[in-house]
Amino acid sequence: MEISFQINGENRSVQVEDENTPLLWVVRDVLDLKGTKFGCGKAACGACTLHVDGEAVRSCSYAVKFAKGKNIVTIEGLGTPERPHPVQQAWVEEIVPQCGYCQPGFMMATAALLSKNDHPTDEEIDANIINVCRCATYYRMRKAIHRAAELTRETNLQSTENS
Amino acid sequence: MLFIGLIASVIFMESNEVASMKKYKPLERDSNITTEKAYDQVMQVLMHPRCMNCHPTDNVPKQGDERHPHYFDMARGENDKGFSATKCAACHQEENNDYSGVPGASHWALAPASMGWQGLSKTEIAKRLLNPSTNGGKSHEELVEHMTEDELVLWAWDPGIDANGQPREVPPVSEENFKIAVKKWFDEGAIIPSEK
Amino acid sequence: MAKKRVSRRKFLVRGALGTVGVLALGTYVFRGSIRRVIAKKLNSADAPYMGDTSTPLIWFEITDDNQIILYSPKVEMGQGTFTGLAQLAAEELEVDVSQIKVVHAPSATGNMDGFATGGSTSISALWVPLRELAATMREMLLIKAAEKWKVDRDKIRFSEGSFYLGENTMTFAEVTNGVSEWEIPDTPELKPTSEMKWVGKPVPRVDLKDKVFGAPIFGMDASLPNMLFGSVVRPSKIGSTFKNATFSEAEKMPGVIKIVLEKDFVGVVAKSYQEAENAKLAIEVEWETGEDWNTSAIKSMLTVGKGKPFTIQKEGDVEDVFESTEVIVSEYWSPIGAHAQLEPNGALAHVEEDKATIYMSTQVVKITRDEIADRLGKDKNQVNIVPTFLGGGFGRRLHTPNGIQAALMSKAVGRPVKCFFSRKEEFQNDTFRPPTHHVLKARLNDIGAIEAFEHNVSSGDVAFGSPMVPSIAEPILGADLGAWRGGMVQYGAIPNYQAVSWRIKLPFATSWWRSLGLLANTFAIESFMDELAVKTGKDPAQFRLEHIQKDDRGDRLSSVIKAVVEKSNYKDAVVKERAMGFAASTDASTPCAQVVEVSITDEEIKVHKVFCAMDPGLVVNPDQVRAQCEGAIIMGMSAALFEKMEVEKGELTPTIYGPYQMALMKHAPKEIDITLLQGSETPGAVGEPPLGPIGAAIANAVFRLTGKRLREMPLQHYLNS
Repeated sequence: MEISFQINGENRSVQVEDENTPLLWVVRDVLDLKGTKFGCGKAACGACTLHVDGEAVRSCSYAVKFAKGKNIVTIEGLGTPERPHPVQQAWVEEIVPQCGYCQPGFMMATAALLSKNDHPTDEEIDANIINVCRCATYYRMRKAIHRAAELTRETNLQSTENS
Repeated sequence: MLFIGLIASVIFMESNEVASMKKYKPLERDSNITTEKAYDQVMQVLMHPRCMNCHPTDNVPKQGDERHPHYFDMARGENDKGFSATKCAACHQEENNDYSGVPGASHWALAPASMGWQGLSKTEIAKRLLNPSTNGGKSHEELVEHMTEDELVLWAWDPGIDANGQPREVPPVSEENFKIAVKKWFDEGAIIPSEK
Repeated sequence: MAKKRVSRRKFLVRGALGTVGVLALGTYVFRGSIRRVIAKKLNSADAPYMGDTSTPLIWFEITDDNQIILYSPKVEMGQGTFTGLAQLAAEELEVDVSQIKVVHAPSATGNMDGFATGGSTSISALWVPLRELAATMREMLLIKAAEKWKVDRDKIRFSEGSFYLGENTMTFAEVTNGVSEWEIPDTPELKPTSEMKWVGKPVPRVDLKDKVFGAPIFGMDASLPNMLFGSVVRPSKIGSTFKNATFSEAEKMPGVIKIVLEKDFVGVVAKSYQEAENAKLAIEVEWETGEDWNTSAIKSMLTVGKGKPFTIQKEGDVEDVFESTEVIVSEYWSPIGAHAQLEPNGALAHVEEDKATIYMSTQVVKITRDEIADRLGKDKNQVNIVPTFLGGGFGRRLHTPNGIQAALMSKAVGRPVKCFFSRKEEFQNDTFRPPTHHVLKARLNDIGAIEAFEHNVSSGDVAFGSPMVPSIAEPILGADLGAWRGGMVQYGAIPNYQAVSWRIKLPFATSWWRSLGLLANTFAIESFMDELAVKTGKDPAQFRLEHIQKDDRGDRLSSVIKAVVEKSNYKDAVVKERAMGFAASTDASTPCAQVVEVSITDEEIKVHKVFCAMDPGLVVNPDQVRAQCEGAIIMGMSAALFEKMEVEKGELTPTIYGPYQMALMKHAPKEIDITLLQGSETPGAVGEPPLGPIGAAIANAVFRLTGKRLREMPLQHYLNS
């Protein structure tokens, strides 16, 4: 069957044999966007986190049929080196990644958090960001999340002033 | 697609058979039950982990038949739906996911805190259930509708497979008999029998 | 200055259009023979790594746009090695770090590390050879530039990848144009550390942008046109040997291209990942299995006194002291640990008639190439392993025979096949950190000094049984060098001490896990040291200082202890329901001391602050050394507090994150204070040493809060049991 959705700003249609195929594999293997990672396939680690209509979703546990007509954003669509998302900007500033494999999932979860709350407390970060990082880069991630929040507030302020 | 449905149904059939043979006596369809028995059957379902796990009194959803706290310290969060970046819906979709073993149903969320049942007695649960100030202002009619038609409630009889591919246990009363019991109990005034 | 110069014959230059390469064929690293390793081992508490005496080779390439590509024989698994190597190369090439691009060397380039990437050795091992190569290449280019300009080379200046003569400039790339023959000079003098521009600077990771913007750099991300997906049926039960499989149903499943039956496995090749996984469920495999193991059977097997003992350290005569006086004895245990790296093992293989190409995350490029070539019946030179960035290593990829399975499936279907583990398969087929049992004995004299100290550790294999340590070496080595890592007594002022390693072969695979035995051994030794300090009533840090010998090694250990005490304002007291815990370790010559600030609320151990002082010698990149400390501390905390594999009905369990509890954001300390000391002119181990003290430091703090001595990890699990 054919399923259409918007991904990273583009309208795409994919042919799938099995409408229950996890969105993760469609994104990675059909659309060739490899930034969204497979870690466990059980919605436990969060490496496959992307956005569906602005909400963080673990794509290994999200049947592609549910994506029909939705707006999907992956790490590739979050920002670019030229125009980084505040979360990516902060991740670069704080030099967060080590092996880097889990980082897109963390950044997508963080971006979802900041879109709803641009001034999270440590407790809110703890409750919201529950992905798994084996290199245990959590210490820098926390700093980066606070920094990204700061950048987000600056951006929000500018857009308020400009409007 | 066809084969997945096929496999899934084979697994379910086998498992339900196994589960019911091992743990429960299959209940005959029984409309002529007493109000006490109806109450008892309703309570057996409400107190089963499939229902109770999402009616916590400590804001922490539970998982599994042994009711362990939800892994990764998931908690009630905002509006019973988890946290901004980690809503229940980040993992739980409209239906069970057989690939991940994550259960799903319409409007997956915790029951409101006022409907926390865990650790309460049958009588206390029934009181909370019937009291409009704790049950979200529901009348008896609305309660019957909620308990017999809400997809999230009925999920208990279609709970899917877990992360290891093992089928989840269903409540000890069949869906059909539960619905009969709910109607019977409410029809007869939803009287809470005194505890023995 | 540089004594071990690269001699001319060790260079090979390959000139292509606009490129020049320098390939060193030296024997620089791991040159020590097995016997020399042993000699070193017996003389010090060092934990040297041994290899097969072959060497890492390094290859530079200069591109037309004047970028310098460094083909690294070491893989990047997060430890920051690529960044450090770029800094070392930039130093002698006199270029900006940004001009150097570090890539993984495919095995076909000829530069492979004969050993592995692991053991916190990458920077220390390449510290001299890489700079010598870079300096030599710079010199070669300079000679050529002088020839082209027909001037004396002394007149030419160079910086940022270009040569300057008056108004004229020539980039490195331009120098290489049209050159077919190169003169190979003697290696120039290397820059003294004091003149270094890049070494010692917190240069941002060279792979930072790729990792922040989602570039497809990992083994899992590899893809080729026409690629299919493979999946191998892996056993759940310990000790399973593949016998046979029936798969007529699986063959008919959607998307299935072929079921591949080999002598030791069965796999399915399908059009998509999910179709391969679905079909796999329909394959019935006959396994030959052994006993139904459980945790308690494993634990009872693993007991000091059982198996083969080997004395790894002996000073004075502990037996003599223990015979005649009262002895303090304590036992400690550590559980089976899983690697749990986020990227599952896997490979993309493309086997063709005359060659095979395998893209994968591996820490052992050469061993993997040789194994695959052997199984395919191909010449080694026909097999090209293309290493990718690793989504975590931690020792999990120090044997990657799964490349063979991908290769055989590719061969069977004549197309590229990508195949990787499911998470459950990762957890059940891991090469685990072995569980350990420790018996510690000591005698305190009248003035509260240790007169005799003994550490016995019983452990499953770490290095033994690994393809990197040939079995022929086992009798020579005697004790498993991985298992006893961190197991020696670092307090040389104790008059009588010894350490004994007991070897037990467990029924499941055990192997290298970041820091090897360090975590468990330090937990045992430093908890016991704390017990002794408590008995004497002395300050725990002071108590350790009193037992450290006066030599270079001892002085460095003393220095980190003093530094962390000062920085943390360490007090052996409970203040505002928080206690401080102290521990120290020495790993591969790098001493590390830590103080943790801990509280217990609602029966949960909470680590608020960690102070860490470490002396890894010369620091190439202080930011990355700090990152390694932060990560190792939290990973060590995770293992010490939460992690535990069990054996039930013959299966290793749990099989998923969550049930296999690991530290999350909420558990990470809000404050990590790192002090780096430099007690050596050369770089030492970084990535593993800071994992040592954390477990004991937390347990020691818990003792102060509860009066309960936790003798078994994971600590959170045993706090209330």
